[in-house]
Amino acid sequence: MKASKLLSTALENLKQRKLRTSLTTLGVVIGITTIIALASLGEGLRVEIQQRLESGFELNVLIVFPGSFLAGFGSPFVPTDVSNMRNVSGVTLVTPMMTMPTAQIDKNNGSKLGAFTVGAVNFTEMGQMFPQRFKLAFGAFPEPDDNDTVVLGYKVATRNGTAFVELNENLSLIMRSQSPPYTVYLNRTLRVTGILQEGGTSGITNFDYWAFIPLDTGVEINGGEKYQIILVQVNDPETGQQVATNIEGTFANPYSVSVFVPSSLVRQVDNVLNIITIFLLAIASISLLVAGVGIMNIMTVSVMERTREIGILKAIGAKSRTVLAMFLAEAVLIGVIGGVIGIFAGYGLSYGLARVLSQLIQPQQQDTVFQNPNRQTLTVTPVFSLEWTVIAFAFAVVVCIIFGLYPARKASKLNPVEALRYE
Amino acid sequence: MVTILDVRDVKKNYRMGKVFVPALRGVSFNVEQGEMLTVFGPSGSGKSTLLHLMGGLDRPDEGDILIDSVNILKLSEGRLAELRLTKIGFVFQFFNLLPRLSALRNIELPLDISGVPEKEASSRAQDMLKLVGLEERGTHRPSELSGGEQQRVAIARALITNPKIILADEPTGNLDTKTGHEIVDLMEKLNDEKGQTFIVVTHDPRIAEEADRIVYIKDGLIEAIKESKGGRSG
Repeated sequence: MKASKLLSTALENLKQRKLRTSLTTLGVVIGITTIIALASLGEGLRVEIQQRLESGFELNVLIVFPGSFLAGFGSPFVPTDVSNMRNVSGVTLVTPMMTMPTAQIDKNNGSKLGAFTVGAVNFTEMGQMFPQRFKLAFGAFPEPDDNDTVVLGYKVATRNGTAFVELNENLSLIMRSQSPPYTVYLNRTLRVTGILQEGGTSGITNFDYWAFIPLDTGVEINGGEKYQIILVQVNDPETGQQVATNIEGTFANPYSVSVFVPSSLVRQVDNVLNIITIFLLAIASISLLVAGVGIMNIMTVSVMERTREIGILKAIGAKSRTVLAMFLAEAVLIGVIGGVIGIFAGYGLSYGLARVLSQLIQPQQQDTVFQNPNRQTLTVTPVFSLEWTVIAFAFAVVVCIIFGLYPARKASKLNPVEALRYE
Repeated sequence: MVTILDVRDVKKNYRMGKVFVPALRGVSFNVEQGEMLTVFGPSGSGKSTLLHLMGGLDRPDEGDILIDSVNILKLSEGRLAELRLTKIGFVFQFFNLLPRLSALRNIELPLDISGVPEKEASSRAQDMLKLVGLEERGTHRPSELSGGEQQRVAIARALITNPKIILADEPTGNLDTKTGHEIVDLMEKLNDEKGQTFIVVTHDPRIAEEADRIVYIKDGLIEAIKESKGGRSG
């Protein structure tokens, strides 16, 4: 029998039993809908989280801390540490940074600025390190020998969108002792030379709440070249982990430093999300297997009902193979129809679920450097991949064939004489 | 004359639970090409079993059956199905049409199975419909046709592959006398015009009389083979 005739006959047979066919197909539809919806939502969530991570970190910038996260911070880096790192292969730029977390910046009229962190940096190198992020909105970076100057982050310099600090205004950098009675041991006047663009992203390289002073000023304040952080730019984010190991190797005790590799963090998160997606899909696949059992059930009943018909077909010369193909064609059609409907229903469902999900996952409002106040909601947009669509469709058809095989074989094995006698 | 069917000492037992019931106990006869032959006997005489064996639907326990010089005992299941498709046409007492297909599609079915292109199959089925006098009824389902009409469709389906042998199992058994005679007349006409061999199994003596030869069968054995009085000279 020709394939086209086989399919058109199968379609005719299915049409004759509309209710039964549609209920059987519904099982497949539900299975495929769930798979497609979960796959595209999982992918959408992955893309969203990945984008957030990538916008929060420069993937090609490694952050080197003295000490380790668990053992506490070690003694600060010295200039030879910096020059050693410059010699590691794969490294394109190294810039040291001093941080003064307890510093406070006041206006001359006494009102405070909301700077969380004061960092002493090399402005030229920072511009190269973060070409997208470390950019001026107003003014200029201080000249190399222009000490006692400051560049403010956007949120530091503004209040509710209006300027709070003017260019060339003099501010006071005040540092206190770290224990009571918190006596002021430093009060230094700094001139504002520039204001950074609004970063508008989350993550640790959001400079909106930072104030930057020249490295030389930092050296004077701290009384020496002691750096709390070294930023390392690599030419390829993929090699980040290897470069990190090599950087650790430049120290006598590799465990005395910690290197934060953003790309490996992203990869880890990616792995976790993949595992979750696969787990969800495995659950969704069970519903398709249930649909398969439904197909087997219905087809077995159908074979019994059509025993006489099978006898007639065999009497007029249909081979067992032909009968098998005729019944399998019906199973395949259920799979194809259910699969196609399921794919589109899955697309629809994933948009609905994405909406619900986006409203459920609302981050709490926190104005921290880790939390971007401008992006309150997590918007999950389903991502449809051709790959998953094809896999889901093929899965539907394969499940139908597997579960249709038993009843179809049963039909094909019928003895024609006995089948003709069947009432 | 060419022998189209050769039945040689055929035996067949059926199992009823634990006991074997002999249906055929050694039957031998020949059928010539173009002949119209009836197998006559009471119910339970083994005539339907004989028809199934002659049509290759079943295999004998002993003996040989040669259809067009091919011993069907030596054929695989697939080859046997092919033989049924190309050389045999069946007509049954209860018509055995597929209830969900139109008359035309029922007639087409053997051609569909043998993979004949749809257009050709359809036009050949149309011709057959005309031959059995039902050209107006092609789109009707079996349930919308009378018994006589359904049997005509069944005959058309049996003839469409142009087989050498038509096997009819009580073809008039489910029809009234008048319609039954019309069916027999149709078969005779086709036998005359197309030269196909007809083997008709019946327990109705009036139908049996219409044939060239009558094989009398009782209790699984042939009682007699007679030239029919009403038969036309071969």
